[in-house]
Amino acid sequence: MQKKDHYVIIGNGPAGNKAAEIFRENDKNARVTIISDEGFPFYYRHKLFDFLSGKITDDSLQVKKYLDYKKNNIRLRLGQTVTKIDPANRILFLKHMEKIGYTNLILATGGTRSIIPSLAGFEKYFSFMTSYNEALALKPVLDGIKKAIVIGGDLISIKFIKMLINMGKDVSFFLCKEGFWPIELTGKMSENIASRMEKEKIRTILDDYPVNIVQTGAGYEIITEKGKKIKGDIIFYFTGLKPDIAFIKGSGIDTAKGVLVDKYLKTNYKNIYACGDCAQIYNPEFKDYWISTGWENATLQGETAALNLLGEHKIIKPVPQKILEVEGIKVNTSWWKEIQE
Amino acid sequence: MAETDIVIEICGSSGEGTISAGEILARHMSGLGFEILSFDSYPSEIRGFGKCVAHCRISNKKIMSPGKYTDILIALNDIHSISQLSSMKEDGIIIYDSKPPSFHEEDKSIAGWIEPGITAYGIPFYNLAQKATGNSRNRNIVALGALAALFGINDNGFKASIKQRYASKKRSIIESNLNSFAEGFNWTKNNITKLDNLFFEKPEPGKTALKRLMMSGNQAFAQGALDSNLYLYAGYPITPATKIMEILAKELPKRGGIMIQTEDELSAIGNVIGAGFAGKRAMTATSGPGFCLMTELSGLSVMAEVPAVIVNSQRGGPSTGLPTKTEQSDLNLALAGGSGDSQRIILAPADIKECYKCACLAFYLAEKFQTLVVVLLDFFLSNSIRNIKAPEKPDKKMLNANLAPSQDEINDYKRFKVTKNGISPRSIPGTAGGMFIATGLEHDEKGKPSYTAEAHKKMSDKRYRKLSGVLKEIPHPEWIGPKKNIKIGILTWGSTAGAAHEATLKAGEMGIRAAFMQPMLISPFPVKQIKEFSDQCEIILVPELNYEGQFAGYIAKYLERPIKRLNMITGLPMSAEDILDEICRIAG
Repeated sequence: MQKKDHYVIIGNGPAGNKAAEIFRENDKNARVTIISDEGFPFYYRHKLFDFLSGKITDDSLQVKKYLDYKKNNIRLRLGQTVTKIDPANRILFLKHMEKIGYTNLILATGGTRSIIPSLAGFEKYFSFMTSYNEALALKPVLDGIKKAIVIGGDLISIKFIKMLINMGKDVSFFLCKEGFWPIELTGKMSENIASRMEKEKIRTILDDYPVNIVQTGAGYEIITEKGKKIKGDIIFYFTGLKPDIAFIKGSGIDTAKGVLVDKYLKTNYKNIYACGDCAQIYNPEFKDYWISTGWENATLQGETAALNLLGEHKIIKPVPQKILEVEGIKVNTSWWKEIQE
Repeated sequence: MAETDIVIEICGSSGEGTISAGEILARHMSGLGFEILSFDSYPSEIRGFGKCVAHCRISNKKIMSPGKYTDILIALNDIHSISQLSSMKEDGIIIYDSKPPSFHEEDKSIAGWIEPGITAYGIPFYNLAQKATGNSRNRNIVALGALAALFGINDNGFKASIKQRYASKKRSIIESNLNSFAEGFNWTKNNITKLDNLFFEKPEPGKTALKRLMMSGNQAFAQGALDSNLYLYAGYPITPATKIMEILAKELPKRGGIMIQTEDELSAIGNVIGAGFAGKRAMTATSGPGFCLMTELSGLSVMAEVPAVIVNSQRGGPSTGLPTKTEQSDLNLALAGGSGDSQRIILAPADIKECYKCACLAFYLAEKFQTLVVVLLDFFLSNSIRNIKAPEKPDKKMLNANLAPSQDEINDYKRFKVTKNGISPRSIPGTAGGMFIATGLEHDEKGKPSYTAEAHKKMSDKRYRKLSGVLKEIPHPEWIGPKKNIKIGILTWGSTAGAAHEATLKAGEMGIRAAFMQPMLISPFPVKQIKEFSDQCEIILVPELNYEGQFAGYIAKYLERPIKRLNMITGLPMSAEDILDEICRIAG
């Protein structure tokens, strides 16, 4: 009897889920497996703040219930981390010491938190809000927080700061130009944002920078370049995301900032494709790679990668420019760090 | 006070210390004042392969059954533990070895099967055991350390329990176990973020001070036999009854008694009847296959009116069947095994306390009624361990129940004298003038063989009549639940009673009028009490662990009404949840 194909998708976000759906629709007999290091089923990441503030329950956070996977015969492996890929032998190595074979592989690992190198040494003092588990851990302590410090900022961090203000917290905001994501702020944009934040009584620090952080009892003290001392009960850190590909490096799959793929989303291995925030896609027109962000792009790429793995030749096009609004300032963004002010 | 009712399973392969870890855990938690019900499941093979599961329910309230769904699974062996996942609660917790020495092939790692809702903690058991002892043998104790750290169990107290468990071993063994526990505890404290909300709430103050004994059913029965002045044990080893023999082999000689390992079961019952004839209290313990062999000779006890006690700890059958799986399928054999009309006394304890009580009763009844007493245990009851209050020892009356002949009776001694209550004065060999013929043949009052219709009728009447007196010796079965207008009445026997009792109480909490009764005396049957109960019930449900419903069939002839049956032959004890589901289904 011929062995069934095994389509494995690493990543349980919009790209990975769309790919799994396409595989199941087009190959009823194949084994389809999603592996994710997060322990919580596919969820709306942008709703994490609402979950944290108690506006919604974890039920409303979920995109698909686990039973849907069972019904569609898709094996969902949650809370499991792939540590190594052996493309030559088509084997994945998991952190809990299990080997999984695959015939076709989709890399849809998304992004992981990115920390400005000069602050990397203080990571242990930071609280993050990039995953369900982080939100879950913050939930019980949020009430007890009076003074919060937010470092960096990205598009969603501003929404988070507003939530903290609405909850009656005192917030100090370090607006780091180089840490803004997915765009890098120009001086004028930074000033405009700072001014608007100040109007909303959010203490915004624009031209100063943390150089040291010390623990003080239950809280923290940040010492800035200009010698200021800012105290807080907690430090939230937001400087966006970077492709989550550390475990892929050294496997033989070509990577740069992300996993390098052609216009069909194929890597340098014919049975391995990448899509979503982790993929760095070649654009023959510009002769350069681009990375896209956002739910819709990820879904489209998940679909394209899966169809191409199944034999189609769909070309993924650079996503159209999208206008984002940050505190009333409009910015266009389409490519990774391509800004049109 | 918050309620603690937690089921922990430790699952490993033979030789991995699974059962030892379960035992240490159960004893320690008992010492902290919790109610404990633990039960081990293991393969019939001695070592090297096969699944072992130590199952332990720990609660700060009264518990009567082992609990169907697992809260915490400790996986010492991934492949075996995968098969335990189906009995986990949806929000259960798994503690597994995150760094085994080699990679598992696909789907053979328990971590690969963790479903949403389950909280999993990966602890490097192997590495930590290596660090603590230089080898991987103490992974089980490392796991206990992790468990203590995760669920708020004091480590110093736990270490004392480990020390106590290995007190008879070399110092190096004690230290390696303590080091392994400390490694597991400290690593977990320092590296694991607790993601669940499960903690062991302290039991009520004062409970820890209670003097409690940790006992299995076999231990309780053996202790009851010793306290009842048992003189001779003869037997041939067989699972799950062997433990009784092991205990008595150690304890009987200390008290001037005798333990004989015979060449087979037929010889064992022969020795028991011989000792009984000589006026000594004697017993054997076996399981279904051994009991079958004994039936060839056990009728002699009935016919010659010689006291004899047989314990049959039931396991899955027929034939050699399922040696390490529990079942209640020897009832028909116990009731009717053997030739002719040979009514005997049958007792079926429900729990560990009743195992002790039945041991004391068995010797008393066998002696008083001069006949065979069969006690039906089962694999679950024999091996499950509970922490119980020290049982009440038998009183003087229970220790000497023989009706010795008076001098007048000796003058014209009739060993099988027909009396009103059917009990004849019994002389012990050596009694002056008390000679008689003892035979398996039908006989007259002096024991002389007689095959006349009249003699057979008279003696059969007498043998049956005397057993009606047994009913006066046994307390009436307890009636649990409402006394009138009962929707569902649950009648069961033996070790299924705990689960049935618990299910009845839960059904009551749900507003279902359910009641429960369990007779410890199976034969002669307490018809009056059971009928009174039955008359108040719209529906009678009989849960039991056999295929056809042997107890249901047995009581049907007395109750003369339809009986609903709930039969399971999974090799595991029936759970309160199984019975409650059936109650709810029937109640609509």
